[in-house]
Amino acid sequence: MATLLDILTTAAILYSVAAGLLIVFGVMKIINFAHGGFLTVGGYSALLITKLGLNPWWSVPCAFAIGFVCGMLIERLVMKPLYSRPLDAILATWGLGIIIGQLITLGVGREVQFVQSPVSGTIDLLGGTYSGYRLLLVLVAVVIAIGIALLLNGTRLGLVTRAVIMNENLARGLGINSGLVRFITFSLGAGLASLAGALITPLSSVDPNMGVPWLINAFMLVMVSGVSLVSLAVACLVLGGAQVLVSSWGNPILGGLTIVVLAAVVLRLRPQGFSRG
Amino acid sequence: MSRNSIRLSVGAVLMGLALSSGGVLAEDVIKIGIPVGLSGANSVVAPSVVQAAELAAEEINAKGGIMGKKVVLEVADDGSGAAGAQKAFDSLIFQKNVNVLISMETSAARNAGLPIVTRGKTPFIYTSFYEGRSCNKYLYVNAWVPDQQVAPIVDYFNKNYKAKTYFLIGSDYAFGRGMLEFTKSYIEKTGGKVLGEEYLPMDGSDWTPIISKLKAAKPDALITSTAGGAPNVTLTKQLRAAGVNIPYGNLAVDEGTAKSMGPDAEGIFISGSYFTTIDSPKNKAFLAAMQKKFGANLKTPNDLSVPEYEGVYAYKLAVEKAGSVDADKVIAALSEVAFEGPRGVIKMNKQRHAPLTMYLGQVQKDGSVKTLSTFKDVDPGAQCPNLK
Repeated sequence: MATLLDILTTAAILYSVAAGLLIVFGVMKIINFAHGGFLTVGGYSALLITKLGLNPWWSVPCAFAIGFVCGMLIERLVMKPLYSRPLDAILATWGLGIIIGQLITLGVGREVQFVQSPVSGTIDLLGGTYSGYRLLLVLVAVVIAIGIALLLNGTRLGLVTRAVIMNENLARGLGINSGLVRFITFSLGAGLASLAGALITPLSSVDPNMGVPWLINAFMLVMVSGVSLVSLAVACLVLGGAQVLVSSWGNPILGGLTIVVLAAVVLRLRPQGFSRG
Repeated sequence: MSRNSIRLSVGAVLMGLALSSGGVLAEDVIKIGIPVGLSGANSVVAPSVVQAAELAAEEINAKGGIMGKKVVLEVADDGSGAAGAQKAFDSLIFQKNVNVLISMETSAARNAGLPIVTRGKTPFIYTSFYEGRSCNKYLYVNAWVPDQQVAPIVDYFNKNYKAKTYFLIGSDYAFGRGMLEFTKSYIEKTGGKVLGEEYLPMDGSDWTPIISKLKAAKPDALITSTAGGAPNVTLTKQLRAAGVNIPYGNLAVDEGTAKSMGPDAEGIFISGSYFTTIDSPKNKAFLAAMQKKFGANLKTPNDLSVPEYEGVYAYKLAVEKAGSVDADKVIAALSEVAFEGPRGVIKMNKQRHAPLTMYLGQVQKDGSVKTLSTFKDVDPGAQCPNLK
């Protein structure tokens, strides 16, 4: 029973972390390697809230807002001039990730720090007790998924975004301002990454490199799920589940490799991964 | 990638410092190298270690230094791991030409640094508790080993909680595995049973599967031995979040780290050679001096930082006894000098290790440690029988 909950909560955390990376990949066709940096920004936003002594719940909107603003600035200053050169743009995001980490090191220091959890204690569930905060993260992941789905399928912005995802040149020919779509998507991706960073920190700790291990897993998950949010959810459940099972029945050291190894195997056997295409 | 770039920049800064400090002649000062984990797992405790060394150096310099020479500290970040330690030891020994290394580090960092110590023929006083049996011609240790530390906790659990079954959790490296291996054999010797023994990589922070296994095994008591600092805190937070409330003995927590865990640390049993509550004039004077020097920036002195303070003094006494900073003479003298510090009189005369007075304590709500019992001058046992 506990294993099932472990799988579900692990998949939820992975989904929250990878969602922002996926939508940026969908619209811009580039992997945003600064995603790990934005996660770190979110972690430090949560730390800021803890330091200010505010209710830890504030870290959720606060991290999203800070990440969104960082994304807006970076899109305008760095990404926009590079859109015609996708490879350079990917390199630039890699560099940005490093710069964000170093700026945080300069400003706050290298040491590992800790934030307050908004929920503590356990919940009785299905004949056992389970960490309340981890269960809450499942709810959060569902809210994020529904939020993105509503945005994409229920708004004008979503409609044009989907058009850009399908065929950017054609969308532009129809008079859609694809620059604006890119701007909003990148900022949203950064905001989501930062939000995810704030969500994972109460479980672990905050340090300037905290985003790096998550970036690698999120990258592999996006690679196997194409640009569909549904296949991302499937990928998180399958690969995250495999990680939990390997950690539980094998050992956690091998568990740490599971997602990366399995993703490579999946792509070898089925190049389109978990997406239907 | 980003980690490498940090190392590069740290290296560049170190080189810059080495060039700029070339003006002072090596003979005028005694340089103490402090390789310590300012980043990574140990970054929670490292600042307190540096503070303790700074106080010792200031006090010694105020009284005329060591044989008239001023003491200078050279701090280098070892990244809490092997790769960082190699760079830190290399730069301290071969570029800064330090006279001695006195520091608390992870076992991974110490093991990586020892070959460089041997090559550089530099005395090394290791001031961190560790898994034991690390032996080197140039190495002395003034902190505890499992032979001194594990018994109080296990005996207490056996007696007061009638614990028959145990679960062990650690970080996957020399200290974590070494401590728990000793703990396991001690538990089995006293009639208990170990239901499970689990490890997570040192940088790991998700203990979920291990905690699930622990809950499924339903042991009477839990004993953990992680890397000092961050892994300790993440494990404890996740244990508490998962509602684990069995007696919990932590072999790697110090008072400073316990404080940074906040309310999650309440009730943890710890066994160590130093708590701030030790009631002795030397300890009170030390705490007052630390408070005066660092004020609001003071990091709680703890079982990892106090041995650093005492280590600096032990080196001073050894140099004075040897009458020189010559490595071989200092090494011979180190086992003969005794320094009375906050932990009492410490003499590293048992195969490079020191008999220590050990305390069993329990963390209170406010993060302080209440002493439950005291064990006078516990012998470290046979640590390095092949070293003279």
